[in-house]
Order: sequence, then C-alpha cells, then structure tokens
Amino acid sequence: MRANDAICGIVLIALSALMIALTASFPDFPGQKYGPALFPRVLGAGLILCGGLLIWKHYASTQRSARWVALAPWTREPWRLGSFVLMLALLLLYIGASEKVGFIPIALVFLVVLFLWFGVRPLVAIITALIATIAIHEFFATLLRVPLPRGWLDQFL
Amino acid sequence: MDAFVAAAGLVFQFKVLWVICASAAFGIFVGAMPGLTATMATALLVPVTFFMDPVPALGAIVTATAMAIFAGDIPAAMLRIPGTPASAAYTDESYAMSKKGELDLNLGVNLVFSVLGGMIGVVILVLCAPALAEAALQFSSYEYFWLAALGLTCAIFMTAEDPLKGVASLLFGLAINTIGIDPAAGFPRFTFGSVEMLQGISFIPAMIGMFALSELLRGAVSVDQQGAVLAQKIGNVFVGVWGVFKKYWFNFLRGSAIGVVIGALPGAGADIAAWISFAVSKKFSKEPEKFGTGHIEGIVDATSANNSALGGAWIPALVFGIPGDSITAIVIGVLYMKGMNPGPSVFLQNPQFIYAVFIIFVLANILMLPFGWLAIKSGKQILRVPRNVLLPVILIFCVVGAYAMTNSVFGIWIMLIMGVIGWLMEEHHFPIAPAILGLVLGEMFEQNFMTSMIKADGNALFFFQRPIAATLGVVTLAIWATMIWRGVKGRKATLAPSDA
Repeated sequence: MRANDAICGIVLIALSALMIALTASFPDFPGQKYGPALFPRVLGAGLILCGGLLIWKHYASTQRSARWVALAPWTREPWRLGSFVLMLALLLLYIGASEKVGFIPIALVFLVVLFLWFGVRPLVAIITALIATIAIHEFFATLLRVPLPRGWLDQFL
Repeated sequence: MDAFVAAAGLVFQFKVLWVICASAAFGIFVGAMPGLTATMATALLVPVTFFMDPVPALGAIVTATAMAIFAGDIPAAMLRIPGTPASAAYTDESYAMSKKGELDLNLGVNLVFSVLGGMIGVVILVLCAPALAEAALQFSSYEYFWLAALGLTCAIFMTAEDPLKGVASLLFGLAINTIGIDPAAGFPRFTFGSVEMLQGISFIPAMIGMFALSELLRGAVSVDQQGAVLAQKIGNVFVGVWGVFKKYWFNFLRGSAIGVVIGALPGAGADIAAWISFAVSKKFSKEPEKFGTGHIEGIVDATSANNSALGGAWIPALVFGIPGDSITAIVIGVLYMKGMNPGPSVFLQNPQFIYAVFIIFVLANILMLPFGWLAIKSGKQILRVPRNVLLPVILIFCVVGAYAMTNSVFGIWIMLIMGVIGWLMEEHHFPIAPAILGLVLGEMFEQNFMTSMIKADGNALFFFQRPIAATLGVVTLAIWATMIWRGVKGRKATLAPSDA
C-alpha cells in the first residue's frame, strides 16, 4: 500500500496538531519559562512544516501520481495478502491469549498455523514447531529466567 | 596499562569467548540469509544480551555484526541477492565474477579484505577515540546540544532519499520519545493514564518492531521466492588473493579509509560506505570499462569499506554517545539501560571497558578468517534453509524478545505497533534509521536543550558563546541552510539507495 506524498503530509499534520493540542493540559512551573510542553510543541511545529512541504512538493511536482493510494501487486494475490494479515492476527492472538493459555501452547499454535500457511508439510511443521517452542522456552525461561506465562501447563512446569 | 590488563582479564574468560564464538556463528547465519540484515542480527541479539554483563553483551554485538557484514557477500556471489544491504553495492559485480568461474577468488577476496578492512577500522578507532574523548571532557550542555543536533542532521543528510522525509522520520522518533515522564520536570506526558506508558516507549521492543518485524512483514509476502544457488564447486578460496592484494593495495587502503569516515558520520553505515567506495573506485580506476563485467577492483574497495565502517561507527558512539550507524544506535540504547552512559567520562572512569571493546573488535576480525572460511564452505547448505520455516521461528523469537524487556505483553504491543509503523514508513520511502536515532538520542537532546534554554533564559546567543559550541552551531546551521537550498532547487541529496 502506498499513499501519495500529499496524504502522508496530511496525516503528519493531523497527528502533530493532535500532539500539540494534548500539550495544552501540561502544567507550567512557577518561575520558569520553559515547561514540559516546550519540546513536544517544537517537534510538532517541525512535523507540521514537514507535512506542509510534502503536500507542496507533491503538487509542485510534474510527475506526481494521480492516484491517492496505490496498492502493491501482492495485495491482489489472496495468499500473499493472507500471509501479511495472518502474521498480524497471530500477534494479536498471542497478546490476547498468552497470559491465560501460557507460552508453550500458544507458541505451538502460532508456529504450526504459520508453517502450514506457508506450505510446510504437516509432519515437518509439527516437529519443527515442537522443537522451536521447547528450545525458545528453555533458552528464555530457564537460561535467561524470563517469566514466560505458564498458563495451562502451570502444574507441569 | 593497568586498564588494558584489566580489560584483557574481562575478555579472556571462557564464558565471554564462548559468547563471542556463538555470536560469530549466529552473525554468519543471519548475514548469509538474504532478507536478514546485520541490524536485524543486533535487534535479535539485544533481548539476549540484556541479561549479560556489559563486556560479553558488547562482544556478542560486535562479533555478530562483523560476521554478518562479511557473510552478506556469500549469497551476493552465489545467488545475486545481497545477504545484507552492505553487500548490495557490488552484488552484480560479484555474481558476474561467479558466472565467469571466479567464485573462489571472489569469496577469498571478500573474506580476506573484509578482515583487513575491519582491522583498519579498529586501528583508527583505537587511535582516535581516546584523543577525542579528552577534548570532549570540556563540553557543556551547549556543545552537547549542538553535537546532538549535528549528529541528527548528518543522519538525515546521509541516509535519506528525500531529506524532507528524513527530517520527518527523525522528528517522529523524537516525538515518540516524549511519551512518558519528561526529563526536566518529571511530568507524565502522553500517557493517557496508563501506568506502563509512564516509563515511556521501551527502546528494545520498538527497535525489534521497526527493524525485525517490518522486515518479516515484507518477507512474508514473498516467502515462496527463494533464489537458485549457483552450482559450482568451491575449491581453495585463498588462491590468487595475494596477487590481488599486490595489485590493489591502494584500493584496499582507500576503501578502508572511506569506510571509517562514512561509518563515523552519524546515520550512515556500512551500506553507504560500500556504495560510495565502489563509486570512487570506478571513478579513479585505470580500467573503468571493466566494471560490471566481473572485475575484482571495485569489490576490493567496497568489501574493505563496509567492514571498516563498523569500527568507524563506534568512534562517535563511544566518545559522544552519538551513534555512527543504526547498529551503534542500538548499542547506545543497550549501554544506557545498563547504566553505562556512553560519553567521554567513560574513558576516565571505566577505561577497561573501552579497551575491552577494542580487544573484542580485534578478536572478532581474527575469528572472521576461520568462521568465514567455514561459512563459505557450507554456504550452499546455509542458503538452502527454507524461508518458510525460518520466518515464523524468527517471528516468535521477536515476540519473546519484546516480552522479555517489559515482562508483560506491553512490550509486544510496542513491537507490533512500531513494526507496522516501520513497515508503513518503508513503503512510503521514509527512512527508519533517523527515527531510531531520534528515539535513542531524544532524551539526551531534550535534556541538553532544556538545560541550555533555562541557563540562557531564552537568549539564543548563549548557544554560540563558547568557541566549540559556536563552531558546531555554525556548521550545523550551514548544513541546514545547504539542505534547504537544495530542497528549494529541487535537487535530491541522494548519494545512494539506502537501507540501513
């Protein structure tokens, strides 16, 4: 997905304006001219300037693309688009479910689903997922003592 | 001398050497896999090094990146796909050599000159850094403000295809950094009542997102496209290398020198160093017509340059705490988290730590010879690892790495959001490196800006009253003026296609 520079500029300006608006509630400190709002406001002003210049450059350019948003060729192939969406969806699933389910089950599901989607043979997918999950769990949970969520397997680990 | 002995004692321990060897193997693998970059190797290593002492942690990063930059040359020659962007400048040349049947010579030259270039980088690092540090001890907040401004400016000037987008990217990084408690007054900004946001956007998950997750998202849509390895037997790669050295020793020195300088400039790293030194080589060559036909000359320049750039990038990183490339940007983030704020005072207080970095650099370059040789010999096997298996495993590794930094899913959230932003930025040709620099330098920049503003009571002239501050300020403003002038004239400041 590629939006043209004018849209990028508009998005930049909108976000910076929001940022500056939020700084309005920041307190001033008595006896000091410069408070916590100064730096974000300077940055916001700079970003708005960049956004404005992007829009200006876009319309000044002779070879600007007429389309507002151009889609990359891969977005028209369902499988490739699916790969992209699936990765993000699995990350969201991990964020939502890992604390309850635990690292090992969720990582297994995560890996097997992605392997199968990418066309790895089922047996290879399951074995690789098992090895990878256990290796990563051992490395982080046992060796580096990261408290990976135990979830359903709490009583066994 | 005592510090040197202490440093050797820190490095030559079984555990540290083991970490160095493991990272060497890791770096070789990541570098040789197309689509996985040296910066990504660092991003993946950081969650692991976080749990180590400073010396093995830095050893791991130094070694892995040095190996990765060399290993990127292997698929360039065998597949015509650069393993890391640093090899992109001479990928076509290398592949043309392989097709002529000179794969052995190409890989041998790449290996030997990578080692030698890396060594030149270390020597210059060792000579320059302490001297610069001595000067830097005199600096006040004005000098640091201008130094940070100059560093950030260079970052835009060097990497951006469109300097305007570089500026936007940098400001974005600085803006992200304002989330959390503000450094001057302690007021929570942009936290929306969330307790976790109080600490700010944790740097490591953000970096994993922008450098690793965005790369994986791009890789996911082309996961079935794996290049075909050139069917050629690999013999003795060192035959003929000495002949090349005798003929092109000047190219080697020139390439290494360019590499160190480009590496030391903030924002530009090994990839830009390779592009520029390759272009210089062609320009001053006696036989420029041979370039593009599988000619070794430009490769000597560029492969020396990209490895020497690694050492060069550590000069401003160690002395001023201003990163020379995206790898040292990550390193500085790591040092801050370990409470060892980089800067000239480290040279006084912890000189053994600086010497340890030097020793590790030398060690990594020496180790590159056997490890690189092994990598060349097993290159075909490495390149046969299927991407559709590798990609999901790296993804789950990123998830766990991001989680480990905050011990909560908040880290994964940061990684996910910054990853998508990073992907969008690349899609729209906004360079990522300036945003990361902004994220790393933001706090120091704001602190020095606020301190200077309060000291000066808003009088801009105070920023120019000390001689060094004035010089730095004038240079920075001059670069800004040049950039604006160029922008108005509509000329691009592009040096090379960049992808840090």
